[in-house]
Amino acid sequence: MKNYLLLFLAICFLTSCRPDISFKDYPPVFKTGDDPSWARKDIDDANWATERGNTGKNIFWVRTKIDLTKKPVGQLGLKVESFGAFEIYWDGKFIGKNGEVISSKPEVPGNATSYFSIPDSLAQTGSHLVALRVSQSYLTDVQRSIGVGLSSYESLLKFPLIITSFMNLIAGAFLIAAIYYLFLYINSRTRQYTVLIFAVICFLFFALLILEYIKYYVEIPYTRFFLRLEFIGWITFALAMLVPLYFAIQFKFKWKKTVMSLLFITLVLIYSLNFGHYDITAIYYSLTMWIFSLIIVFNAIYQKEKGAIIVLIGLLLRVLINQYLYYDFSLFISFCIIVLCMLYLNTIQMKIIEEEYQSSLLLSSKLQLELIKKNIQPHFIKNTLTSLIDWVEESPKEGTAFIQALADEFDIINDISEQVLIPIRQEIELCKKHLSVMQFRKEINYKWKESGIDENEFIPPALFHTLLENGITHSSPLEDGSLKFKLSFSATAEYKQYVFETFANNRVKVKPRAGGNGFIYIKARLTESYGDNWEFKSNENDQGWISIVKIYTK
Amino acid sequence: MRVLIIEDEARIAKRLQRMAASFFEQNSVISSCDSVQKGMTHIENNEIDLLLLDLNLNGENGFDLLESVVSRSFHTIIVSAYTDKAIMAFEYGVLDFVPKPFDELRLNQAFKRIKSKPETNDEPLKFLAVKKAGNIKLIDIEDLLYIKGAGIYSELHLKNGNCELHDKSLETLAQLLPNSFNRIHKSYLVSLELAEKIIVQPGSKYGLLIKNGELLPIGRSKYKELKEKII
Repeated sequence: MKNYLLLFLAICFLTSCRPDISFKDYPPVFKTGDDPSWARKDIDDANWATERGNTGKNIFWVRTKIDLTKKPVGQLGLKVESFGAFEIYWDGKFIGKNGEVISSKPEVPGNATSYFSIPDSLAQTGSHLVALRVSQSYLTDVQRSIGVGLSSYESLLKFPLIITSFMNLIAGAFLIAAIYYLFLYINSRTRQYTVLIFAVICFLFFALLILEYIKYYVEIPYTRFFLRLEFIGWITFALAMLVPLYFAIQFKFKWKKTVMSLLFITLVLIYSLNFGHYDITAIYYSLTMWIFSLIIVFNAIYQKEKGAIIVLIGLLLRVLINQYLYYDFSLFISFCIIVLCMLYLNTIQMKIIEEEYQSSLLLSSKLQLELIKKNIQPHFIKNTLTSLIDWVEESPKEGTAFIQALADEFDIINDISEQVLIPIRQEIELCKKHLSVMQFRKEINYKWKESGIDENEFIPPALFHTLLENGITHSSPLEDGSLKFKLSFSATAEYKQYVFETFANNRVKVKPRAGGNGFIYIKARLTESYGDNWEFKSNENDQGWISIVKIYTK
Repeated sequence: MRVLIIEDEARIAKRLQRMAASFFEQNSVISSCDSVQKGMTHIENNEIDLLLLDLNLNGENGFDLLESVVSRSFHTIIVSAYTDKAIMAFEYGVLDFVPKPFDELRLNQAFKRIKSKPETNDEPLKFLAVKKAGNIKLIDIEDLLYIKGAGIYSELHLKNGNCELHDKSLETLAQLLPNSFNRIHKSYLVSLELAEKIIVQPGSKYGLLIKNGELLPIGRSKYKELKEKII
């Protein structure tokens, strides 16, 4: 945060501070041809053209008058913006060159922006003449005029340095963020697209900052000048797509596809309508991004999404910044604020994920406990013991068998209690043991049938055991005194399916029951192991009861 | 003795049946139902003297049934695994709570309570359930003024001046109510906490003045016993 504050102060300083120099410049005049005497201050250039015109591959001269009204304390510096290569003369004196002008051959391209120092002896207040001998053999259809400005030589060198240092500072922060979020995405348990998008946005923003200010420290011949702008344009395009997309995902925007295609069309329109106008295109891109983000954020506020107000404030700050700052800076600062808003949203998201994880851990241990409780809850254990006493008193031999069956059921429960998934065979064994225990208690002839069971399959523990318990509790035997349960398995390319059927009479309910704890347990177990990729149905049918567990594999 | 067992565990139902039969011997008629629904139908259509009730029947809450059965004339004994529900059951007015697993001794102890008022109740009765317009209404015994016998029914006279009818006889209620309730007359049961003074009327007639100013008759045979308790 401190960095941004410093940057902000620096920008305020740069924009508000007046240079310690003042001068008046006049529009340049042009003449195609080559004559060394045109460098002289005293020749008459009244008949020279005010427009550059099509100079083709020819050498041409440019002359411009500058009145220096106040001299800087240090050395005087000259900043020239032009395409091609040139030699530059100050009051007829050669003071430097940019690239290499070669007669009758294409020049060695110079930079689009160049700086020259003017010797103290020549830097007197009064009228001066700047003459350039130029050739531009490439990009001949771009007939740029030539811009000449005076400044103190020191500030000409310092200003880009200050800007670059701040911008690189921010760029570095975003590079780190991009890498961090990329790693976070790769290594997280639940891969969230928003995290990846955020990493990409951070990286693109880093690239944008670097590309924008690379001009200060990398020599870019004028022939490559548009390449950089082209790149910047596409990065801005991508950012203008990704930022609203990020907000749309994060804020669960309903018409995501519609709004994203609308955005894409708008951006393409902007691109084609303003082709070649790089700065305007970038401004429109960012404006479009801003408007679409604003729409999504307003909707988010309406939906009462967390963090929406903060993002809205961030977006509205842009208006304020645009009001007071030069375009380049305002673009980056408003981008910065938006990315900070996203960072904030991400931390909210992380917090939610963390909480979800904690509660899932809690749920898992709760489910474990629930499973162990099944056989020690009073209804089961006390009724079992009462029946057991009776068996022991009445026929000790059966009593012993009963104890054995109970011990077996306990053994299985003990084995599976800490597992999340168990082999289906183990689950079936558990059901069978439970039936033999219940047979002693209820004196009903329980039958178990199975079909199509795949021995390699796994299932959450006590899933069918719970359904079995429900079946025993809520149904009464058929006329022949039997009560039959059947478990069938089938699998297709999309899903695996278990059908658990009870063949019995359903008991009449005094009060209608909604689901019950058994179903809550089953659903929680399915969610624990399969997330959302399952379906559970349980309802009455002609022969008793039917429950279907569907597990989607795709 | 007509006994109804409501128990969904076949083995336990048989056990209860066997033990009840051996306790009440020849003069017993014992029926058994394995669900709340069947039990209710049986109670509607048959006169019974004793109900043995499990509190968790096929996942149905036996308390729903308990609320309606305690308003009836017969005694209820709970046989349940949920010992933590015992206090509540006593508050509703059951004769005894037999926790599972049980043996013959413990069950017989409960059966014996039918014949004699126990020395102390484990948990005092808190409510009397009365049937009113098809619903069951619970009356806090704190609201009771006195109970007047009316044949096989009892009239509950309340502090707010209302009078409710209970299906249990004065004898049966006396077995359930806390010890502060005393028979002062063959037709009157009153909590001595509400007694103001004994008034002797001409012709050796005695009356008990209670807090609301009502004068209740004291039976000649009960007078001596009552006098000792008050003084």
